[in-house]
Amino acid sequence: MADDLSLDLFGEEPEEPEEPPQQPAPAGPKVWSVSQVNRAVRGLLEDSVEPLWVGGEVGGWTRSRAGHRYFTLKDDRAQLRCVMFAREAERLPTDPDEGTEVRALGELTLYEARGDYQLVVRQLEAEGAEGLWRIAFEKLRTKLEAEGLLDPARKRPLPAYPACVGVVTSLEGAALRDIVSVLARRAPWTRVIVRGTRVQGEGAALEIARAVDAMTRSGLADVVIVGRGGGSVEDLWAFNEEPVARAIVASPVPVVSAVGHEVDVTISDLVADLRAPTPSAAAEGVVPDRDAIVHRLGRVPVQLARALRGSAERRRGAVVGRMSRLARTMERRFAPRRQALDRALARLERDARVALDGRRRRLGTLAARLEALSPLATLQRGYSVARSSDGQVLRALDDLPAGTTFELRVTDGRVAAESLGPVPDPES
Amino acid sequence: MTASKPDETSLEARLKRLDEILAQMESDDVGLEQALKLFEEGVAHVREAEKVLSAAELRVEELLASGETRPLETDEG
Repeated sequence: MADDLSLDLFGEEPEEPEEPPQQPAPAGPKVWSVSQVNRAVRGLLEDSVEPLWVGGEVGGWTRSRAGHRYFTLKDDRAQLRCVMFAREAERLPTDPDEGTEVRALGELTLYEARGDYQLVVRQLEAEGAEGLWRIAFEKLRTKLEAEGLLDPARKRPLPAYPACVGVVTSLEGAALRDIVSVLARRAPWTRVIVRGTRVQGEGAALEIARAVDAMTRSGLADVVIVGRGGGSVEDLWAFNEEPVARAIVASPVPVVSAVGHEVDVTISDLVADLRAPTPSAAAEGVVPDRDAIVHRLGRVPVQLARALRGSAERRRGAVVGRMSRLARTMERRFAPRRQALDRALARLERDARVALDGRRRRLGTLAARLEALSPLATLQRGYSVARSSDGQVLRALDDLPAGTTFELRVTDGRVAAESLGPVPDPES
Repeated sequence: MTASKPDETSLEARLKRLDEILAQMESDDVGLEQALKLFEEGVAHVREAEKVLSAAELRVEELLASGETRPLETDEG
């Protein structure tokens, strides 16, 4: 490039390199100071070359304390010094690795103090427009993965019926409006608490991270949605930065990440307990649908009644079952005894009969003996019995004064009789 | 620190209790007396939950740096 500059000062021999400018020697050729030369060349470079894209491989990447980046761009035959000042370098998603193929947009200039010409880089890209973003994303993803933070087992289930939903997003964004309108439609009994934050630009990642912390640690929200509406890779970048990922990972309550439109997966999507493709979808994911609950509640009384009836029937079944089991048990237990009883009864009956027969025979003999003692038998032997009309047996003289009518019982009947008074005793 | 408050009157608590009640009633070892009590409790939860569901307006608040909240105006459609 230097060849293009039609400047012939290099053809002359400088004599006093450290002399201040504009001090011409008394005689001989005009001598330039180094500063003069460098300033002149710098002017030439800056004035004659438009900003340009330069492609090459990154080498010697260093970062100064002030945040400026110094490196070289190389191809197989040449290299070019480059500097990217902190202001621009801050917007880099990541520092490129040694050897990364990049393209840099910048202006050529000359660093006067050293006489080095260099490219002042305004913008640096790798592998197409999103290359460096992709690289930064992969770097952080790998790091978090190594820590086990992307493990699906870490993901917590969302509460089925959150009483309070936390939202971390821009207060001005469409995302908040979308979320609020979905929650109002599906679950208007829900309390919604919003923590506003910038979601893009310088320092947005830290701000989002702090907002997530404040929300998740407030103890108010049962579940937290963090996100924003769609945008360019650069707009969404904060959600690919480590502070946001760490804040989500540290949350004591489940976090739903909802960044942009479906296509882009961000780091916060990966570490969140649930990834929603859009803010609206996140809102739908965190609350149940009112109609679904109403429907479910409507069925509960029927289920309760059925369960109650079932319970009663089981009771009744249990009672009937036990009764019949008891009956069977009794029968089984008493069967042998009943046989014994039957046998005993039979024996008793037999014994009774035997005893009865004996009595009967004995009765016969007793009757015969009684017969012998009976008054009838006495009557047969010739005695008779005198009895008054009222049945009194008349035994002595006093019972039979003269004129007493009485009966005489004889062996085959009765006869009427009358006393004629006592008969004198022949012996008295 | 967990955010879920042990609030027995929340919709979540009621629906959860309803699940428990149904499971208990459908199990074998619940007496008739107990089943009746559960039934009544269940019906009460259904009534209360329906009241919650009929709430009309979404409350939106903003979390302030102090940790307090204040109502937030939103232009939801």
